[in-house]
Amino acid sequence: MKTVLYNILAIYRRELLSYFTSPLMYAIAAVFWLVSGFLFTVTLDGVIQQAAQYDQATAAGISTAPIDIPYEFIRTILGVIGSLSLFVLPILSMGLYAEERKRGTLELLATSPVTNWAVAVGKLLGVMTFFFTMSLPLLLYEAIALSNVNPPIQINVLLLGHLGLLLLAGSVLSLGMFMSSLTDSTIVAAIFTFTLVLALWVVDLIARNFGGVVGEAIGHLSLLKHYTNLIQGIVDTSSLVVFASYIFLGIFLTAQSIDAFRFQRS
Amino acid sequence: MKRRFSFVKFLILPGAMLILAGISAGIVSGTWGSIPFGLIIAGIVLIGLWMVLIGRFEDPLAPTFWKRRSTQASTNALVSTIAVLVILGLINFLAVRAAQRIDLTESRLFTLSPESQQVLQEMQQGVKIWVFSSDRNPQDVDLLENYQRRTPKFSFEFVDPQANPGLAQAFGVKNAGDVFIELQSSKRRQFLQSISPQARLSESRVTNGILQITSDRRSKAYFLQGHGEKSLTEGEGAISNSVKALEDKNFTNEPLNLAQLGRVPSDASAVLVIGPTRTLPEGEVKALQDYSNQGGNLLIAVDPNVKAGLDPFLNTWGVKLDDRIAINAPDQQLTNAGPAVAVVTQYGAHPITKDFGNGISFYPIARPIDITQISGVQATPLLLTDPNSWAESNIKQQPLKLDGGDRPGPLAISVALDRTVTPTPSPSPTASPSPNASPSPSPSPLASKPARLVVFGNSTFIVNGFSNQQLNGDVFLNSVTWVSQDPLQPLSIRPKDVKNRRIVLNNEQALLIGFLALGIVPLFGFITAGVVWWQRR
Repeated sequence: MKTVLYNILAIYRRELLSYFTSPLMYAIAAVFWLVSGFLFTVTLDGVIQQAAQYDQATAAGISTAPIDIPYEFIRTILGVIGSLSLFVLPILSMGLYAEERKRGTLELLATSPVTNWAVAVGKLLGVMTFFFTMSLPLLLYEAIALSNVNPPIQINVLLLGHLGLLLLAGSVLSLGMFMSSLTDSTIVAAIFTFTLVLALWVVDLIARNFGGVVGEAIGHLSLLKHYTNLIQGIVDTSSLVVFASYIFLGIFLTAQSIDAFRFQRS
Repeated sequence: MKRRFSFVKFLILPGAMLILAGISAGIVSGTWGSIPFGLIIAGIVLIGLWMVLIGRFEDPLAPTFWKRRSTQASTNALVSTIAVLVILGLINFLAVRAAQRIDLTESRLFTLSPESQQVLQEMQQGVKIWVFSSDRNPQDVDLLENYQRRTPKFSFEFVDPQANPGLAQAFGVKNAGDVFIELQSSKRRQFLQSISPQARLSESRVTNGILQITSDRRSKAYFLQGHGEKSLTEGEGAISNSVKALEDKNFTNEPLNLAQLGRVPSDASAVLVIGPTRTLPEGEVKALQDYSNQGGNLLIAVDPNVKAGLDPFLNTWGVKLDDRIAINAPDQQLTNAGPAVAVVTQYGAHPITKDFGNGISFYPIARPIDITQISGVQATPLLLTDPNSWAESNIKQQPLKLDGGDRPGPLAISVALDRTVTPTPSPSPTASPSPNASPSPSPSPLASKPARLVVFGNSTFIVNGFSNQQLNGDVFLNSVTWVSQDPLQPLSIRPKDVKNRRIVLNNEQALLIGFLALGIVPLFGFITAGVVWWQRR
């Protein structure tokens, strides 16, 4: 057990090191920061203007219900960032195994004493850490934007939202890792992951055509539904289980696929 | 032999296609009849054939497909993958069944109020909500799912009225967005509310709807008949639609023939006198008066030019029916309805009219109502015509204008009154103080209740064809509900008290965010990427 942990840690460090010495990864992060920063400022402006209009209506004597603008803002921005992540996450996961295949190092990994499981877990942890680092500036902007709010906001909804983002990223990256283990082309891996994740994102729409138990079961697969739950401030145990299932499934399938790879040459 | 069967290794393609075609056919047609099933089964048979025959007709020297090591590994992988998928599916199934929800929002935005939870807990019968709308608004779905999570007796369904017109007709759906509540055991259905982008499904309506439809008690409304009143059954000039709407509100409706009975039945929640055209005999007016004196509830609608003989009774309440006709302000006259259609957009402050805002209701040929204050009686004018309207005394004189004998507006064409009943046996205005005034020990449980009365100077507004236009139906339904003193008071469920917060940014903070988000942080990324690339070169 201890060796497995050490193995995971070793893989994790190797992966992280490769991210922080890769110019491509910095470029991806920079583009993500630019786009998310732009979306952040636009959303913030939009929400503030909306609140101003609302206040004008109140001042003009139209009776209006109270409105919690910071809460609406957190919900909106995390929704926007979640959608943006759909494009970024497949790019992060595309090289996880495909790159090793291309360079011919996958044989080494597959036949090394480290189990396929440990490799997959280490790699996933590495890429999740990288994505988490990428999302940190957002937390900083949010802290600045919400620092003057009166009465002060309660932080738990915000933190839960970011946990949701991390869980969503974990699910997508895990499935992306599996896709990446199937091919030696990073582009193909990225496109397949993107397609799969998009399908899981909008599967709600398909579920509506069914209705009944089948519809409910299909709708339960939807990533968007569970992500929305979390960023709204609802902890639903079934949503957590779904995310955990996706992450586990991705790791399992990756290990299986590498296993199969070992015997393909025989 | 070998050549002839070498096509076998391609069997998997048509097999997969047939299965796919079967599934698509099933999804598109929405039914899983023989054709989709047939296609799927044919596909499975083909793939089965492929699995049995594959490798049989290949090079006899190489190990056959099923004996290769890679095949064995793949099969192992396939079996364990399927096993894992099944296990994950089961875990998720259990997780959904036993799902716990914790609402971390401050005002518990996504949690039902304690009142609703109580109602759901005490619910005995199955209740289903039908929403006739083509789009499933997530907000509405969330609310309904919240109910569903509390009890398995609650269910809901969204129906597209265009795709399912038969069902929509069975429910009597008028507009897309109508919501109905149905008692599962007796299939009794009630209209709940109409949803639109402006008005979402409200918890208060749903909970009160459940409360109402599951309660056994139904109020009984009697419609006085026999003097040319509006007919309750289908037909020209009948009020059957309004009567039906009352039934949806949990009322039982029955005609009342006072000439035979002599008195109002004791189970009456309200007696309605809608548009008599002949004079009521004195005995019947007396019966109504007695009923009212015991805390009875009356709704009276009398058209102009009718001597209904109700004046002595109405006078005891301080109400006098004017004989003139309300003429609408010239700028509000409906183009094809004529000046005698009173359009009302102003309503008195009263429970009956509190939700109406500036909505429109209209009354073809209405008479104004005069109110004089009488002690113990509280009177509220309900419907007020435009200030520029007037009461016309001579309708034949053209053009109609405000002149001598007329009365300027605004006119009240309806009034709601209530008073506490004093236990005097005959409070007629000429009551001589008879010394025997020991109130007869009639066991009248109504005596403690205040008596209520609503008077309309028009009865046409609820006949079929008018009742479903604008607010006309609501004016009537709310009046009957108020007048009948329905003991089933709706629960008042407070809307969630959301903290009123704003994001306030001073200039420095706004600048800081702008600089960080659009400048410094992305630049840091790009520059580092450049530096790392340069170093590794």
